[in-house]
Amino acid sequence: MLRSLSGADAAEADRLLADHVPGCSVCRETLAGLQSLSADLAFAGGSVAPPETLLPRLHRELEPVDRRRNPVQLFAVAAGVVAVVGLAGLAVSQGMRASHSRARIADITEALNAASEPGASITPVGPAREIAAPGSEVIYVYGAGVPVPPPGRQYRIWLVAPGRSATFLGELVVEDGVAFARLSIDPSLVAQILITLEPSDSAPRTPGEVAWRPAA
Amino acid sequence: MRDGDREDLELHRRLTGGDREAFDALYRRYAPPAYGLAYRLTAQPVLAQDVVHDAFLALWRAPEAYDPARGPFRTFFLSLVHHRAVDTVRREERLRKRQERVANLEPSHDEDVAEDVVDDEFVAARRVEVRAALTTLPPEQRRVLEMAYFEGKTQVHIAEELGIPIGTVKTRTLAAMRKLRRALTEEDL
Repeated sequence: MLRSLSGADAAEADRLLADHVPGCSVCRETLAGLQSLSADLAFAGGSVAPPETLLPRLHRELEPVDRRRNPVQLFAVAAGVVAVVGLAGLAVSQGMRASHSRARIADITEALNAASEPGASITPVGPAREIAAPGSEVIYVYGAGVPVPPPGRQYRIWLVAPGRSATFLGELVVEDGVAFARLSIDPSLVAQILITLEPSDSAPRTPGEVAWRPAA
Repeated sequence: MRDGDREDLELHRRLTGGDREAFDALYRRYAPPAYGLAYRLTAQPVLAQDVVHDAFLALWRAPEAYDPARGPFRTFFLSLVHHRAVDTVRREERLRKRQERVANLEPSHDEDVAEDVVDDEFVAARRVEVRAALTTLPPEQRRVLEMAYFEGKTQVHIAEELGIPIGTVKTRTLAAMRKLRRALTEEDL
């Protein structure tokens, strides 16, 4: 959106969106206004009847909705979410580069397997998702379209539980616009995760600047 | 909240549960403006079809990507279509050589195919409001907005084509968007 209305070069738009917008309330509000405008301008241009074959074509491709989706299908859903997250103008790669694809697909398949377990929880944490299978000591944090941290900074994942000091779980690594982390936790603990953005050379003692927390 | 937006929320809720009738209802409402937008940007019926197809398929597969707290469904969906269409245009270099008339915000009489499309009341009403708001823009502001939005041109290209500094392009674009936003916000009140 930022590119289309501002006409900015793609790389500059991505830099602004990743580095500046998250921390600037004025720009966030402006971007939200632009997105609304983008939709309204679509109305101004007028409607054109799409070919009659389009809806039947879509019907043939609409998979039945099933909560117990297999990992491959859920990956296709996640890929769809990548494209949709791109709506917000975040830097998104529409597909993953071949050099990273095998290892990354294996990671994500593992996460999506967990997501398809009965009773699994998927909690939005900003642009990422926390995935936890019931009773498992492993949780996954996966997100498509997560902005790359600025140079010299990194995303850190913390476990926060009532009455306890926050525990540093690990770094959330972003590659090709896809963020992934596999973390070990005590499944009996009632806790939530925070994602912070901190200097890479700082010791992880207490959570710093919070980037995202779970949606309420 | 407008009735149409309220209806969209309900349709989206049903869509999240896999309701195909809700999907069809959203398609009937938004496919014509989406296709119109995609066609104006790409000037290629096949590409426009693909843009709209992909947008609706993404909606079916990941309806949770729309967050009602962030604004109306129409904003989410048509922004998605616009984003995809711009990406398509920039990818297809040959699409740069499209006729000027495709980008015209005032369709010529014989091309106003909107006359042949029975948009639902909500969409038709919104179109009237937006077109009225556009008439409040000075011609130079409207032109840069046309070129950026309906032609997917970068600011550098717009500056070159119009023979004006890039700073002027940015100023005019921002002024146009602010004016439009103000005019449409007043309509919503």
